[in-house]
Amino acid sequence: MKDLVESSGVKVALRDVDVVTTGTFGAMCSSGAVINLGHADPPIKIEKAWINDVPVSHPGAAVDLFIGASQMSETDPFEYGGGHAITDLIGGKEVELRATAPGTDCYPRTRLEVTLTKDDLNQFYLINFRNCYQRYACATNGRDEIIYTYMGKLLPHYRNANYSGSGELNPLANDPDYETIGLGTRIFLNGGVGYVIGEGTQHNPTTGFGNIMVKGDAKAMDPEFIRGASFTRYGTTMYNGIGIPIPVLNEGIVQKLAVRDEDIYTDVVDYGVPRRGRPTLRKINYKELKSGRIDVNGQSVKAGSLSSIRKAQQVSEALKHWIEGGRFFLTAPIERLPSDTVFKPMKQPKGAAFVENIVHEAVTCTEDEDIEAVAARLINRNANHVVVVDGDGRLAGIITSWDLTKSIANGGDGLGDYIVRAVHTASINEPLEAVSKTLAEHNISALPVIDGERRVLGIVTSEDISKLVGGRVLG
Amino acid sequence: MEVEYLVRVMFRFDKETVDKPITSQVILEQGVPINILSAHMNQRGGEILAEIDSRSAEKVIKAFREKGVTVDVRRLIEKDDELCVDCGGCVSICPMDALTLDEGRAVTLHEDQCNGVTCGLCVDACPQRALRLIG
Ligand code: SF4
Ligand code: SF4
Repeated sequence: MKDLVESSGVKVALRDVDVVTTGTFGAMCSSGAVINLGHADPPIKIEKAWINDVPVSHPGAAVDLFIGASQMSETDPFEYGGGHAITDLIGGKEVELRATAPGTDCYPRTRLEVTLTKDDLNQFYLINFRNCYQRYACATNGRDEIIYTYMGKLLPHYRNANYSGSGELNPLANDPDYETIGLGTRIFLNGGVGYVIGEGTQHNPTTGFGNIMVKGDAKAMDPEFIRGASFTRYGTTMYNGIGIPIPVLNEGIVQKLAVRDEDIYTDVVDYGVPRRGRPTLRKINYKELKSGRIDVNGQSVKAGSLSSIRKAQQVSEALKHWIEGGRFFLTAPIERLPSDTVFKPMKQPKGAAFVENIVHEAVTCTEDEDIEAVAARLINRNANHVVVVDGDGRLAGIITSWDLTKSIANGGDGLGDYIVRAVHTASINEPLEAVSKTLAEHNISALPVIDGERRVLGIVTSEDISKLVGGRVLG
Repeated sequence: MEVEYLVRVMFRFDKETVDKPITSQVILEQGVPINILSAHMNQRGGEILAEIDSRSAEKVIKAFREKGVTVDVRRLIEKDDELCVDCGGCVSICPMDALTLDEGRAVTLHEDQCNGVTCGLCVDACPQRALRLIG
């Protein structure tokens, strides 16, 4: 279609093409499945339940359960989760269900253990309450350590970037005004048939981040198009394959279907800053992203995708075959998706605190200073850490009062040997939870606070954090 | 382009070769270090797992083979194509361009480029757990 519009124009494309199929295949955490187990004898009103050790919730009556894709196994967390359990069921595998209950007059049973396959379930519906984002941010990491995020593994110092979304193949990118995709649109959902049941949560059409909510019969789905997934140190999720047909009804729609990767822009965002407002480094289009190399701060950085373009193509091809073979019929939406809603941030919760709230001036020294002078400064300021800086005030290392004492005791003649040079640091807008995590992970008690140029802005200590939270446990 | 990295190699000795000082001979003759990671030997034969600098790997392997030793160059990273969904989550991680997205948007592992166990960066980056270290 895109090529046809380019070569022959809108009119020819409108005359020659009836339907364009689109597709996407990526991680969609806001997914899950509703299952109904039927009643056991004696019956049970489930209170708590686990499928393959993944806790599942009981949002409704006695034996209705919801398997959340991102819920993690209690015995194999971060590796196996609800998404894997759903995929196993779809693939025909047996799963172990365990449940407990208080026991009532009408539902006396208190424990249940049973092996199930999808054939044993009455209903098995996939519900996905946010997916098919029109576009998604591209993630990179400016910190000096590897971070593990829902955007994958991000190497330090902007050494890689990960993006998501299929660009010009994405359903909503081809129907940005929601003219044909709306409530009731029949779709390809993970190899089965599904429906759009409304706009998704956090639907944000005004900024071009619209999304949809979908549902479909999971029993008919194909494990080729749905997969559990594990993001190291982040958690589990599920990859879904969604294909949506767009009927070519008028020239306006043709024009929108001609959208190209170079027309779809997103932001490159520094996920190294663990704040809601992560800094945007630049704007970028999907063409540059898909080229595999992008420019970040003047460096050429490798870019990888987290959603599969190849699978997205397979989804859209499969849907095309269904339509051509008369196995799938298009529906008109019975209601349009809202195009004016905004996604509000959360009302600021109590207790969120950042480095900027507690940072204080650091005791500093340069490497060539006299040990005794440095020791005197520590005592005067009643501090435990000296931050070593170079001539421009940039971080060069850190010395603890303990190391300083050792160097004096050894009659040492210079600070050099006692300076720790691989220093963990914090940035001014980092949440204290993140600081506490760094302190605990490395078993240290203070972090110099630095800016983007490694200039020392101050220091945060575990003592300051505990004073602030007054014994409350962070994290 | 010649890139320096360590190649992991398994040398298998039989009854005949096991009691000859072949490893030290090769080290002396070729003038290259061989880093022995593990060795299991008895009179009937044995195995040595070692790492060699990639630039001398070829001649070292040849020298061992000429002396009657069986040499396995271990595949270090294995990609399970059944599990892989060609997402590309591993592509940006790899410092050696051993994982690439080809024209058809499939992700391919080029074993000859991979640094294997000395790197391993991609293993925990794969959401499908399709990459693993072997050997
Ligand atoms: S181990 Fe993985 S990341 Fe490292 S070189 Fe091999 S393929 Fe690349
Ligand atoms: S990250 Fe894993 S699933 Fe994705 S392309 Fe690489 S090997 Fe395949």
